[in-house]
Amino acid sequence: MSSREDILARVRQKLGRNETNAAVARAEIDTVLAAKAQGPRPQVDAEKSALVGRLIDKSRAYSSTVDQVATRGEAPAAIARYLIGLGLPAQAVIWPKLADLDWASAGVIVQARAAQDADLVGITGCFCAVAETGTLMLCGSVDSPAAISLLPETHIAIVPASRIVPGMEEAFALARKELGQLPRAVNFISGPSRTGDIEQTIVLGAHGPYRVHLILIDGA
Amino acid sequence: MESRSHRFKENAAAALANPVLQASMKKAKGKFVDKRAIAIKEIDDFEGTREAAKQLRDRVLENLDLWLEKFESNATARGATVLWAKDGEEICRHVAEIGKRHGIKKAVKSKSMLSEEAGLNQALEANGIQPVETDLGEYILQINNNEPPSHIIAPVVHKSLDEVADLFEKVHKTPRKTEIPALTREAREVLRTHFLTADMGISGGNFLVAETGSVALVTNEGNGRMVTTLPRVHVVITGIEKVIPTLEDLSTLMRLLPRSATGQSISNYVSVLTGTKAADELDGPEHLYYILVDNGRADVIGSEFQEMLRCIRCGACMNHCPVYQAIGGHAYGWVYPGPMGSVLTPLYTGLENAIDLPHAATLCNQCGVVCPVKIPLPDLLRKLREKQTDRNLRPWLERAALKAWAFVAASPTLYALGVWFGVRYLKWLAGGKASIPVLSVAPEWTRGRDFPAPEGRTFRELYAQRKQP
Amino acid sequence: MRVGLFVTCLVDLMRPRIGFAAIELLEAAGCEVVVPATQTCCGQPAWNSGDRASAAKLAKKVIAEFEGFAYVVAPSGSCADHIRNGYPGILADEPAWLARATALSSRVFELTDFLVNVAKLETLPGNFSGSVTYHDSCAGLRSLGIKAQPRALLAKLPQVSLKEMNAAEECCGFGGTFSVKFGDISAAIAEKKCNNAVATEADAIVGGDLGCLLNIEGKLRRMGDETTQVLHIAEVLTAK
Ligand code: SF4
Repeated sequence: MSSREDILARVRQKLGRNETNAAVARAEIDTVLAAKAQGPRPQVDAEKSALVGRLIDKSRAYSSTVDQVATRGEAPAAIARYLIGLGLPAQAVIWPKLADLDWASAGVIVQARAAQDADLVGITGCFCAVAETGTLMLCGSVDSPAAISLLPETHIAIVPASRIVPGMEEAFALARKELGQLPRAVNFISGPSRTGDIEQTIVLGAHGPYRVHLILIDGA
Repeated sequence: MESRSHRFKENAAAALANPVLQASMKKAKGKFVDKRAIAIKEIDDFEGTREAAKQLRDRVLENLDLWLEKFESNATARGATVLWAKDGEEICRHVAEIGKRHGIKKAVKSKSMLSEEAGLNQALEANGIQPVETDLGEYILQINNNEPPSHIIAPVVHKSLDEVADLFEKVHKTPRKTEIPALTREAREVLRTHFLTADMGISGGNFLVAETGSVALVTNEGNGRMVTTLPRVHVVITGIEKVIPTLEDLSTLMRLLPRSATGQSISNYVSVLTGTKAADELDGPEHLYYILVDNGRADVIGSEFQEMLRCIRCGACMNHCPVYQAIGGHAYGWVYPGPMGSVLTPLYTGLENAIDLPHAATLCNQCGVVCPVKIPLPDLLRKLREKQTDRNLRPWLERAALKAWAFVAASPTLYALGVWFGVRYLKWLAGGKASIPVLSVAPEWTRGRDFPAPEGRTFRELYAQRKQP
Repeated sequence: MRVGLFVTCLVDLMRPRIGFAAIELLEAAGCEVVVPATQTCCGQPAWNSGDRASAAKLAKKVIAEFEGFAYVVAPSGSCADHIRNGYPGILADEPAWLARATALSSRVFELTDFLVNVAKLETLPGNFSGSVTYHDSCAGLRSLGIKAQPRALLAKLPQVSLKEMNAAEECCGFGGTFSVKFGDISAAIAEKKCNNAVATEADAIVGGDLGCLLNIEGKLRRMGDETTQVLHIAEVLTAK
């Protein structure tokens, strides 16, 4: 008997499984999967400006920094200002999805490709953002590779205000609605990477970015 | 991992006598306990959320066979390969075979307690694959001669900064650093090279989502993302009990897990990974394997201990346990310490191999109160004690003493006689003092404490006297 | 109100004055107190040691002795919890006994809980003077919700000041048989409790469970503290 059969057989035996109760249980499982019932939720005001406000507060609580601009077109200039302000090189690896922005006029040299170890700055968009906890939801795909938000020491994310949802439940619902199936790599990111392993002292910048900077687009 | 749980008492004695461990435990405690207390206040209905989490975990366990099949078919449909392992040895065999098939030379690992259960690192080395632990804590342990972890989420909670500084200086052959950020950066640089050169990533799985056939991974350091994004092959090793129904259920659990574990509202990274990379994708693994592990779990299903399988490995029970606080995790002798470990170790490694663990608790129920999935840990510990009694596993003297005491307590006359003598004996031992420094019938008590002297007469004597004017 | 007093085996053996103090308090609250002479132990040590048979035997004995009273009161959260919440589980397989255990369950109270919430005691017989710190024993606190009750009673004593200690809700390390099976761990936990209590500089450490109090007192004396008093709440409330 294969291990699969052996393990499942023992579980079935322990549960007193038979054909009748299996049919009932299968129906139950389908109901549960269809119902997608939610647990109790903390109150999150779903009004747009409240969502923006909460996302900003919670992101800052997670050691991210936030800048706000009116339109998507203003993002490159805002990013250039941020990089110069920190004395970082105005040079970045970006999601292919963002290649249409006018980076050249802002003075930022960008390359749309997979991230490499030497990349110091990674610029991404996001699928949506979760106001409840100040969290970005990134979906890895052909034009939004996952490592760009991971390998560089500085991660900058462009977040349209219209894409802020109250909780993780809405984020998943949006993915189901717009993408059909869940993309291969969904990453929820809340601030820079951190560790508390040595004496439970929090240090920012463990294996991933040291800095996460949000560019909130109010008019998008 | 070989269990040393049968030596609990010696292990505990050594821990109590270890000043570095004692200092480290003291430091850590405040952080975990206080931060959790603050974080749970952010949830309006914390108790309701706990109840919902309990129910959703129960829902799966009650039909675990069918949920596993559901998960398996959805994961397979997205290109993953699902393997099953009865025990640690089979985990090692699977990983070795996968390694061979894909010509793997180096595997980067993010924390997996199951790989500890299996002793996977030794097996990888024996098969010519270099294992590299990448969670900072696990890495520290690996370069310290594969020391076992002492906590399920803070593996080096027992270590001091000084110890880590010495270790890095010795192993990395770099000038000694004493600042935690500098040490963290040094480890980052060493491990970055490994991430970029590894061809296999091995991770645990916090949850398996049946709806989508995904694994959910929760980390702060980002190493979990590295090992599941960069190498060509990703192997998830996780217990069969980790299935949850939907993404909504994941959302509920994510309100509890980080808060209970580290007092965070959310962990820095929550990755929900499904299947293999598409041909034109720029990163992600080409091959994804799940190894679903039994190693004792199937036998717990349907038993009086089934509730234990709800565990989401947050560590809150140990963070709040007075015994764990006093002795740290190593004393428990196997992979899982603290209250959850004292239940899991005898269940997974055999009742007779961990005789002391179910008794190594004051049953104060602080663990039961904080557990995010409402596992009645003290009840389960007590039930294990009952099992030991049923199987005559307790020491002969202890059983005899209990029986004798129960016999006497059932008879008011014998009992009155017993306490009449008892109180006079104790009073005599005290010799007019308020305390008895050495009590030969309870040497364990008086080794570290005095035994207060009794008043001298029993309540029943005095009450009977008072009633007769 | 006819109340059966469950004295507890530790009070019987070690501190009869706590039993008498409990009687005084219950009488002050207008209760008629009866102390069944045949009582021994609630059986918790057997239950917690995994000896279900002995635990069941003693549970039946207690039920038979006490089911005739309107209320059963014990000067111990741990014993009260065991009778109230433990017995139904112990006797789950014997329907007749289970019914009797359940019928008794809701009428079993820890002393301070009973005085505050059932008997509604207004005026205390004692006038203790000094500062105290209160240790919340585990079973009372987490199973019976005993937290405000003893403090409410202490607040009625004009000359008592309460100085809360750090981690008052943490276990003292007693744990019944745990204290004699794992004496070193038990004593190490007790030491933390004592340090927290002593740091308040209170005159007395007060609690509602004698097991914990003996553990704390024993550790305190071993640590060389001969002056801090260790008292049961009933002693404080009746002190003259
Ligand atoms: S038993 Fe409960 S508290 Fe302990 S690790 Fe598991 S989920 Fe967390």
